[in-house]
Amino acid sequence: MTVNWIGLWTMVRREIQRLWRVPIQAVVAPLISALLFIFIFGFVVGGRIASIGGYRYLEFVLPGVVMMNVVSASFLQATSQIYFQRFQKSIEEILVSPLSYVEMIGGAVSIVILRSVVTALGILVIGTIFGAVHMHSLPEFLFWVIMVSMIFGFLGIIVALWAKTFEQLNVLMVFFIQPLSMVGGVFNTVGMLPPWLRWLAYGNPLFYFINGLRHAMIGFSEGPMAFGAIFTVALAAVLGAIVWRLYAIGWGLRE
Amino acid sequence: MTPALEISHLRKVYRSGTVAVEDVSLTIQPGDFFGFLGPNGAGKSTTIHCVTGISNPTSGSIRIFGVDAVADYREARKLVGLSPQEFNVDPFASARNIVDWMGGYFGIPAKERHKRVDMLIERFELVPHAKKPFRELSGGLKRRVILARAMVNNPKLLVLDEPTAGVDVELRMDLWRYLQELNRDGTTILLTSHYLEEIERLCRTIAIVAKGRIVRNGPKEEFFTEPGGLERAYLSATGKTADHAQVAAR
Repeated sequence: MTVNWIGLWTMVRREIQRLWRVPIQAVVAPLISALLFIFIFGFVVGGRIASIGGYRYLEFVLPGVVMMNVVSASFLQATSQIYFQRFQKSIEEILVSPLSYVEMIGGAVSIVILRSVVTALGILVIGTIFGAVHMHSLPEFLFWVIMVSMIFGFLGIIVALWAKTFEQLNVLMVFFIQPLSMVGGVFNTVGMLPPWLRWLAYGNPLFYFINGLRHAMIGFSEGPMAFGAIFTVALAAVLGAIVWRLYAIGWGLRE
Repeated sequence: MTPALEISHLRKVYRSGTVAVEDVSLTIQPGDFFGFLGPNGAGKSTTIHCVTGISNPTSGSIRIFGVDAVADYREARKLVGLSPQEFNVDPFASARNIVDWMGGYFGIPAKERHKRVDMLIERFELVPHAKKPFRELSGGLKRRVILARAMVNNPKLLVLDEPTAGVDVELRMDLWRYLQELNRDGTTILLTSHYLEEIERLCRTIAIVAKGRIVRNGPKEEFFTEPGGLERAYLSATGKTADHAQVAAR
């Protein structure tokens, strides 16, 4: 069966047009938030903190700030895209079309990745202004941004299919993703934590994402890189399979 | 000849336990103009939703020009165009984009799609409104957009669920003419409507559904050989004759 590229591209351009209607929410807000993080934690507070692994504190923090925003942009994009389409019933336009389930999911996740990459690049531009951007390995950088976008895109789709109210869209973000981001090593090394708290980092998936991106940007790592990469790919594959199954049975999509 | 639509023992039970379709079987021949009549909640829209992929059938089979609508859903969807009863669109999108996007989902290349969209926008007299957001259009204009969207893939089977609900007489007459033209050119049409006049005028075959089952099904002429015509047959088939007579007596 051939891929319906025109259908996939239509899904992407349609969503770009929707995002174009809310540029402040989609693009400007994460950049302002990143700017504040960089300024306060990196520039103001970081000025009083000794270098980490030979890097200024701002350079150490920046990959974590990028990853936090990638996580948040991908999750919000997936939930808002799918939930709004369900809410308006415009998802039926896709259900009655000859797109396969893989194409429906592929179209939705492509936009998630696009928005995350744009957000990440925007933060890098801000970081450049503060002289804090390094790129140890661009392929590694793209690997982490794309894989993490996929993971949170899939999670966002699952939540959007499950949610019955707008309130429920935020449950996972508020109670799990944001707290895990904060304790996942954005602002500190694992070595800065007391030994009895280090499990919070090593047992936290977000730690491996942040650690991976930090290695891609400044070459600094505190965890097993190969394990982190395999775990990330496996998690994306498992979540992708779950989403495919949900589309196939029509859970949250079809009556 | 392979039927345009063949529904066999369709049953649909919602998660809430509501049985929307009990047991529907019907066959529509290619080129037919098929009227699907029934009171609110009889199962007409649910049947259509199962045919077009909006709902999952609980059991039974649906074949569109011989293609299984569940097992081979991609091929089946290519053959169908749907104008649903409810407006299932992004209300902030323009009329033109709504039609164009649907053409895109069907994989129609840009050049051919733009030509087709232009033709439909013109055909439904939407040119002055093409760039307006859907939510700013009147009820009748919204209905035209939905009809144009249903036809963008040039479907072999056109499914119209209450297409003239809420539209003015002029558009209704114009739409009837257009549907007759399409049907003459070979498009098979499945039409649900509450307007008996519409069904009488357009359809060659009529099925009446009540409580999730087909209670009458046959060529239009069968309904008109009976005293009282289609109206009487409809009321009788849906069990409304007694109530109707009581109201008339008062």
